[in-house]
Amino acid sequence: MKMQTLTAFAITTALCTGTANAGGADLTVFDWSGYEDPGFFGTYVEKHGESPTYSYFGSVEEAFTKLTSGFGADLAHPCSDAVRKWVAADLIQPLDESKLTNWAALLPEIKEVDGIVIDGNLYMLPFEWGNTGLIYRTDKIADDQVSIQLLADPAYAGKIAIPDAASSAYALASLATGNGADYTNLSDEQFQQASDFLRSIHPNVRFYWSDAGQLDQAMTSGEIEMGWAWNQSELNLIWNEVPAKMMRDIDKGIATWVCGYVHLKSSTTPEDQIYDLLNALTEPASGQYIIENWGYPHSNAEAFEISDQATIEAYGFDDPKAFFDGSLFFDAVNPELEAKMLSEFERIKAGF
Amino acid sequence: MSAPATLYVGFLVAAPLAILIAYSFWTQTYVTLDKTLTLQNYRDALADPLVRHLLLRSIMIAGAVTAVTVATAYPIAYFIAMKANKKTIWLLLITIPFWSSYLLRVFAWKLILGFNGVMNSALLWMGLIDEPLTFLLYNEFAVVLTLAHAWAPFAILPIYVSLQKIDPSLLEAATDLGNSKFQAFRRVTLPLTIPGIIAACLIIFIPTVGDYVTPSLVGGSDGKMIANLIQVQFGAANNWPLGATLSLMAMLSVGFVAIVLVITGTALGKRIR
Repeated sequence: MKMQTLTAFAITTALCTGTANAGGADLTVFDWSGYEDPGFFGTYVEKHGESPTYSYFGSVEEAFTKLTSGFGADLAHPCSDAVRKWVAADLIQPLDESKLTNWAALLPEIKEVDGIVIDGNLYMLPFEWGNTGLIYRTDKIADDQVSIQLLADPAYAGKIAIPDAASSAYALASLATGNGADYTNLSDEQFQQASDFLRSIHPNVRFYWSDAGQLDQAMTSGEIEMGWAWNQSELNLIWNEVPAKMMRDIDKGIATWVCGYVHLKSSTTPEDQIYDLLNALTEPASGQYIIENWGYPHSNAEAFEISDQATIEAYGFDDPKAFFDGSLFFDAVNPELEAKMLSEFERIKAGF
Repeated sequence: MSAPATLYVGFLVAAPLAILIAYSFWTQTYVTLDKTLTLQNYRDALADPLVRHLLLRSIMIAGAVTAVTVATAYPIAYFIAMKANKKTIWLLLITIPFWSSYLLRVFAWKLILGFNGVMNSALLWMGLIDEPLTFLLYNEFAVVLTLAHAWAPFAILPIYVSLQKIDPSLLEAATDLGNSKFQAFRRVTLPLTIPGIIAACLIIFIPTVGDYVTPSLVGGSDGKMIANLIQVQFGAANNWPLGATLSLMAMLSVGFVAIVLVITGTALGKRIR
């Protein structure tokens, strides 16, 4: 965190003394809160003299609702599973690959993720990625004992938490029932198996978490001992010296997500300026900053080479290829199945 | 003559309601809104046991909140109106919780009832329990408690006002006619405060049925209410028409229960006399 403050300070100082063009703030980004950190786009600030303007959403669904109701911005930051829906709702326009100076340096696997390119058009520039997996207290559960199926063990009644999000819950359940590979297109039978699994763990669920802080606190206090959560939670626990980690064994089940920037149709800022920001975000230096200070893996392969290797290993992304090859991907679920997941998940949560 | 007023009310009340009603007759397919009028949403919602279950649970929780709040508020209002010397100070003290945001108060209850919260720490320290109690948080009880605390002033004030309006000579007359203090309370004070009690019940019941933030923060997996399901329709499910239908069904149920409450309250008030 100290690094973050220092960099922010350095950039503010540069900003005050610089003679760069004004108007950097004309560009608006619709984003998760926290991504306005100038360390993410240093070269943009150098060139345009100031940071873009940020407007925030709390979830991708909220962002979608706001955009379809007429909210306008230049760029937005959804995750890859939302892109198909956003294209269908006519919200975003394709990106020009030739103007993306860091495109060649991005992890080859990340470019293959569903939703980045649709019908030959590049829609999303991947920025960061991470895992959703089973985080457990290492002082309560041994490494060789832990598994997703353990969530259903009556010994853990009231000791687990899973996200209050249907897609994430069904990803977990698909992995648990051995159908991880078919997650986006589950057959009726597979869907039933996944739902049965979620029903079987429901009595153990202490709460369905909607903000990660709630989960982190419950893990820290020992209120819960296992949780299906993002790697951000694992980092928080590491930083707070809580004996906990994420089960990263691909055979036991782990999921991967990718988020990035899309060019909205409501954009009004000149294209060059937009590509300046997209290029700044994917610079190796930005990647190094986000890896070392935020603990999020970046899309640029070169960022990993220049970052502190011990940190990379401690945070568990020294082998990105393994995750991209072997884990469940949060790709867009087919819309009919998604609707089924949503309504069934509400039922399961209510004890039906 | 009353055109500006009509426009004003129409714009702020009737128009949004009309939009909601219109939405409830439309349907959503993926990202497009089908504006053909249909009763499909109502059929789906009525046939769904989950909707009934959550609606019923919301009414039960709100009913419990109302009962608890009014029952605990009455003695406080009685004390301030009848016994206290410095009424203004007492009233001021009651409004103090309102100086902080509602959300903060919900979080405060989470801190009190939580696993390593104030209550558990105190009980552990006193040696009354060996490990933290888990039934305090994440259930219907926590929802009722949090809401009852948050809404207490809304019950105290209307009851206080109705107590204040009572002419002391009526109570004197009751005593002169041979009533004990309790009889005087039961036959004079209580019937005269029925309007205040009904007002308090309505003020608390109506907004708590649709409360969203308290169940989502302290309700856990057993304390979810109808508003949480409505939120899913407007958010993740992106099915505004179904969300609108559920909202209207919730409104109608609340309206129905409120009418029943007023009628039985008034009837009860008459019977006491």
